[in-house]
Amino acid sequence: MAGIEIARVVKAYGATPVIHGIDIDVRDGEFVVLVGPSGCGKSTLLRMIAGLESITGGTIRIGDRVVNDLPPRDRDIAMVFQDYALYPHRTVAENIGFGLKMRGVDRAIIDKKVQEASEILQIGHLLERKPGQLSGGQRQRVAMGRAIVRDPKVFLFDEPLSNLDAQLRAEMRVEIKKLHQRFGTTIIYVTHDQVEAMTLADRIAILKGGHLEQFATPEVVYKEPRSTFVAGFIGSPTMNMVKARVAPDASVIMLEGGASMAAPPAFRRAAGRDVLLGLRAEHIALSDAPAALAAQAVIVEPLGSDTLALMRIGAVEMTGRFAPDSGLVAGKGVKLMLNLDHAHLFEPDTGLAIV
Amino acid sequence: MSDAIRHKLTPLEKSERRLGFAMLAPAFLLLAAVVLYPIAELIRNSFHFNHLAQPWMGTPFVGFENYVKALGDDRFHEAVWHTVLYILVTVPGAVVVGLGLALLANKPFAIKWPVRLGLLLPWALPLVFAGLIFRWFFEYNQGVANAILRGLGFEPLNWLTTPSLAFFAICLAIIWKSSSFVALVLLAGLQTIPKSFYEAAEVDGATKWQQFREITLPMLRPAIFVALIFRTITAIQTFDIPYAMTNGGPGNSTETLAMYIHKTTVDFLDLGYGSALAVLMFIVSALITSIYLRHTRRDPGRH
Repeated sequence: MAGIEIARVVKAYGATPVIHGIDIDVRDGEFVVLVGPSGCGKSTLLRMIAGLESITGGTIRIGDRVVNDLPPRDRDIAMVFQDYALYPHRTVAENIGFGLKMRGVDRAIIDKKVQEASEILQIGHLLERKPGQLSGGQRQRVAMGRAIVRDPKVFLFDEPLSNLDAQLRAEMRVEIKKLHQRFGTTIIYVTHDQVEAMTLADRIAILKGGHLEQFATPEVVYKEPRSTFVAGFIGSPTMNMVKARVAPDASVIMLEGGASMAAPPAFRRAAGRDVLLGLRAEHIALSDAPAALAAQAVIVEPLGSDTLALMRIGAVEMTGRFAPDSGLVAGKGVKLMLNLDHAHLFEPDTGLAIV
Repeated sequence: MSDAIRHKLTPLEKSERRLGFAMLAPAFLLLAAVVLYPIAELIRNSFHFNHLAQPWMGTPFVGFENYVKALGDDRFHEAVWHTVLYILVTVPGAVVVGLGLALLANKPFAIKWPVRLGLLLPWALPLVFAGLIFRWFFEYNQGVANAILRGLGFEPLNWLTTPSLAFFAICLAIIWKSSSFVALVLLAGLQTIPKSFYEAAEVDGATKWQQFREITLPMLRPAIFVALIFRTITAIQTFDIPYAMTNGGPGNSTETLAMYIHKTTVDFLDLGYGSALAVLMFIVSALITSIYLRHTRRDPGRH
C-alpha cells in the first residue's frame, strides 16, 4: 500500500498542453475519484500514474518512489480498463491469473490466488468460461479479479462502469466500495459520473480543461463548491444559478427582475457587487411568511420520494425540491422562501466563489 | 413446409422475386460462360484423346486412360513434388515475412509512405515482372547476387543453372512477391486487436515478447489461417515466377505442376492429357478450399 503524490504535473502533446500543472496528494488507503466532463484530462492523468502516458513536467510519486521514468510493470499498480481488456482466447481463470503468470509466479500459487479472488467476486463458477460467454457485469468482475490477484500498492480504475446499464452500475458501485473496505488499498478512480464520484470517493478531484477545480471530500465539494463549474457539476438537480446584486450596505440582495430579500451577514463580502447567486433545490421551500416571494410553478416533476418544480420568480427561474404531497400544479402561483444561509455567491466573470 | 410458404407469397412478393432472379441472371450467365463451361469442357476433354499434332486420330473417348498415364509419368511426379516443395517453403516463408512486415507497418511511423510503398509494391507488381526482376538479380555476370558475392570475396555462383540454387532463388522471389499480400491480411487482423489489451498486459508486467506470444499471436490466428489458405491455394498454381526465371530448368528441376500442364497443352499440344492433369490440380485446390470453407463456417460458433 502506498500514497500517491502528484506534484505540478503537466502533460503536453507537442505544443498543446492538456494538463496544466496539477497537484493532488492521495493518502495511503484513500479512495480518490477524478471526475470531470470529457476532455478534462482525467483519463490522461490516470494513464500518467499508470505509466501508459509520459509525464511532460512535474513528478508523480507512488509511496516514496518517483515513478516518472518507471515502466508500468515496475510501478506495482493494477488497472481496470473501461473495455475490461479481457483476452477473448483465454478462460476467466487464465485472464485473472495473467499478470501472475507473466511475472513467473508458481502455477499452484496462481491457482490458489485466482480461486480466492473469484470467490470474493462471486465468479468461482465461471472460471472455465471465455469472456465472450459472460455478461457485462461478470466481465467487470473478472477485470477486477485480475487486478486483485496482483495485490498491488494502488488500484487504478478507468471509467469501469460506463459500459453497464444503470441498475448494474449501482450494483457494481457497491461491489467496488466493498472491495475497498476489504483490502484498504489506495484507489484512483476516473469517471464522468458525479453520482459515482460522490458515492465512492473519500475525496473528489474535479477537473476541467486540464485544471484542478477542487479537491475535497464529497461533503465539502457539495456544500462549499469553489467555482460555478463545481457547483453545477456536482449534485442533482444542478444548483440554481441566477444573476443578482447585493446592496451597497449588504442588507438586501436583489434578484434579476426585482425580487429582493434580506441578505445574511456573510454576503457583506460582496457588498455593492453584481454576483451569481447559487442555491440548491433543497433550500427552496414553500412558505406563508410575510417575506416570502411570489412565484409561479412552471414545470412539476414528481419523482416519488419528492417532487421537483421549476419556479419562476420575477425574471428568473429556479428548481426547488418539495415534499411529494405539496400539491404543486403547473401554472399555479405559490409563495417561496429561499434559504440564503445555504446560498453561494460567485464572481460573474471568473466563476469563483465569493461566499 | 416450403410449399406452404410458397403458397403464401403475395403477387407483390412474386414479382419482387422475379425481379431478383432477373437481376442475378447476367452475373450468373457470365460466370457460367467463363467458369462453369470451361470446367465442364476440361473434364470432358480429360476423358478423350485430343492431340492437336495428330488430327487424323480424331478425339475418341478413352475413359480413364489419360489419368492412368499420369500415374506412370515421371515428369508429372517430379512436377508434383516440386510444387509440394514450393508450397512447403514459400507458404510458411511468406507468412513469417508477412507477419514481420505487418508488425512493422502497424508501428506508428512519422513518415508512413515508405512503409506502405514497401508493403504494396510487391503486391501491385505483376507476377511475371517479379520473376523477370529476380532473374536479373541472379543473372551470372550482371546480377546483384553475384555482385554481392564478389564484393565479399567469394566466387560467383551459377544461380539459375544449378538446380538447388535455382530452387532457392525462385523461392526467394515467390516469398518476396507473396509476403505483401499476407502482410495486408495480417495488418488488417492486427488492427482489430484493442490497444487496451497491450496496455493491460504492460501494467500486468508482460514483456514485449510475452505480449507478442500471449496476445498478438493468438488474436491473429484467424487472420494467419486465412493467409495460409489463400497462399496455399495460389502456391498450388505456382507458374509465372519460375516460368520467367528458369522456365522450369535446368532440365525439369524447377518445373511446377502448372508449368507442366501448360507445356503439355500449349507446347506439346496434347489437350486430352493436359486436361486430365488440370483436373487433378483442380481437385486438390478444391479440397483445400473446402477445408477452408468448413473452418470459417465453424469459427463464429466457437467464440
